[in-house]
Amino acid sequence: MQADTSSKPKKKSSLKAKVQKFGTALSSMVMPNIAAIIAWGLVTAIFMEGGWAPNATIAKLTSPMLHYLIPILIGYTGGRMVYDERGALIGAIGTLGVIVGDLNIPEFLGAMIMGPLSAWCLKKFDQAFQSKVKSGFEMIYNNFSSGILGLILAILGMLIVTPVVEWGSGLMSSAVDAIMKVHLLPLTAIIIEPAKVLFLNNAIGNGILVPLGIEQAAKVGKSVLFLLEANPGPGLGILLAFCFFGKGDAKGSAPGAAIIHFFGGIHEIYFPYILMKPILIVAAILGGMSGTFTFQLFNAGLKAAASPGSIIAVLAMTAKDSYLGIIAGVLVSAAVSFLVASFILKRDKSTDSGDLAAKQKQMEQMKAESKGKEMPSTDEVRTSINSYANVNKIIFACDAGMGSSAMGASLLRDKVKKAGIDNISVTNTAVSRLKDEAGLLVVTQEELAERALEKTPSAVHVSVDNFLSSPKYDEIVANLKALSQVTDTPASEIGESKKVAASGDQLAKIDFSSIKEVNFIRHDQHQGSATMATSIFQDKMAKAGKKTPVKAVRINELDDENDHLVIATKAAGKNLAVRYSNIQIVVVKDILQDKLLDELVKKLN
Amino acid sequence: MELKKDMILLNQDVTTRDQAIRLAGQLLVDGGCVDEGYIDSMIARNEDVSTYMGNFIAIPHGTDEGKKHIKKTGISVVQIPMGVDFSNDDDANEQLVTVVFGIAGLNNEHLQLLSQIALFCSDVSNVAKLADAQSADEIIDLLQEVGK
Repeated sequence: MQADTSSKPKKKSSLKAKVQKFGTALSSMVMPNIAAIIAWGLVTAIFMEGGWAPNATIAKLTSPMLHYLIPILIGYTGGRMVYDERGALIGAIGTLGVIVGDLNIPEFLGAMIMGPLSAWCLKKFDQAFQSKVKSGFEMIYNNFSSGILGLILAILGMLIVTPVVEWGSGLMSSAVDAIMKVHLLPLTAIIIEPAKVLFLNNAIGNGILVPLGIEQAAKVGKSVLFLLEANPGPGLGILLAFCFFGKGDAKGSAPGAAIIHFFGGIHEIYFPYILMKPILIVAAILGGMSGTFTFQLFNAGLKAAASPGSIIAVLAMTAKDSYLGIIAGVLVSAAVSFLVASFILKRDKSTDSGDLAAKQKQMEQMKAESKGKEMPSTDEVRTSINSYANVNKIIFACDAGMGSSAMGASLLRDKVKKAGIDNISVTNTAVSRLKDEAGLLVVTQEELAERALEKTPSAVHVSVDNFLSSPKYDEIVANLKALSQVTDTPASEIGESKKVAASGDQLAKIDFSSIKEVNFIRHDQHQGSATMATSIFQDKMAKAGKKTPVKAVRINELDDENDHLVIATKAAGKNLAVRYSNIQIVVVKDILQDKLLDELVKKLN
Repeated sequence: MELKKDMILLNQDVTTRDQAIRLAGQLLVDGGCVDEGYIDSMIARNEDVSTYMGNFIAIPHGTDEGKKHIKKTGISVVQIPMGVDFSNDDDANEQLVTVVFGIAGLNNEHLQLLSQIALFCSDVSNVAKLADAQSADEIIDLLQEVGK
């Protein structure tokens, strides 16, 4: 089908929509890597000093996991979102630059910037150069372009992106500092919660709250500052709200996330849920505020920093006189954020919340809209040039991305290049890695057309049953060419360049009425080609509704009767004439694709 | 990578596509490219989505999962002059194949050769040359022409 991207109503990109899109993008960089965050969190909770089973050797895992593994994974995923495997790889390379830029803070945010940014750079680079690469040099180009560009991006990340991230978290910290100075502690939640969701929690927690808290605790034996960031209440409330009122995937995974968050103290796990639906930050802020307010009301505090921020660590650090206040504060903040988040989730009927079920629903709708425009059958694709207007990228998709699609892509790249079109890239991938974007033309095998359509509803789709000699390729090239207004040449040259053997008189001599069987000859070194010629001719006959059987036979197997029509090359024809006297022979230049063959089909029964 | 002489099997006569795939797969096994498990993965992949490419060729290869069986990149060729039908029972048309390319690809090393094969085989009369070839060298020569 041809989903015409230009005809779809453009969504108003209101600020809300933009924030939503941004949040969804961030969350989809983190979500696939939650397992790594859990692994890190568990190691921290169990083996770190002050954990359940402290073990200095095993605890060595924590820092590399937090500082290297997770940011690189995020950068990798972020890169893949923008530009598939190539983007993923370069995203990881670029991310390492930001990491090394400042080894003291975990560069989650830097990774979220660097991953997609690096991939985007490579994408632009490829658009400029990939089509100029000579056939056979693709691999060298691919590896070296990514490698060199990756190195440059890593250096730029180190020198530019790291300071930007540092500056950002510095800004957050000083804002928190300012609010504390005017003794409006609950209001710090306005800064802290959004900063946490952007993975700046460690920067704020360890950078400012903990040092100030230690100062206070040294004086009066406890401090509420330790709780501002470590309070697990707000996150718990949001995850519980997802358990009850969430949709699809988010709903299903929320209970587990809640347990890991609340008892494991891995706050990171709830951030993607907020990013998915950024308005939920309101719930987190109100939860944090009410919690802090409650702590102050009870004059509660912790003896030292609770890290990680699990309920267990918090209670372990609670000052002797503060248990009631701490528990009350955590519960109040959880309750408040639960109520607000539930309200938001319940009210929210929009489908663009980025969760899986909603996406699926959206897809069904789109599919319903396009009903009636069923997948075109091979030969009747009515390609409107209009639908090609936005195409800037062609992707061949097959099951594993190993063979078929690579072949198809080579062929089409060749054709596109020969047609003088140089602003369109032709690549291949597995269907499962397709992603929807504007300006995409997807070519697939017919079996996979459905899946490809689901993956990329807004792309132009072409399905082929023959990757090697599909007329679709010429169609695609012709359409693209029509757009770029290059002087037109006949789209299809195959078959037409073969001149008709000037042998109309040859056919005139044949007595078609007596023919009961058409034969191709297997002789000498022509076994395989006879098989192929027979099949092609059978196919032509079937399409024309003709019934005369077509067979390949050995040269000595024929009955010498005039009801045989033998199609042969000149050499074979001579050979036949020596052996047989009654069979009828048509000599063609090419037994596979001679114009004469079509003439024969017309005259046969 | 280049096509090797001992990865080419001429003049085979088989009656089912699975036999053809197994021949191509066995060449890959004997060539040290894959372990036995890969062959089943090739059969599975072909059942899932046909590797028939049109123009009388098929390029059986493993599934995504089957990649774990690959030791190194390799391409094998099986010539079947009498042809073998690659179609499924529910396909309307016969999908006759005379040349089978078995593929084991790691790190895209096979893409260059595959792309040569694709360009060459996009002309059906070239496939006929492969199907008629009398020696492994002839096949290698034919495919090499494309690169030039």
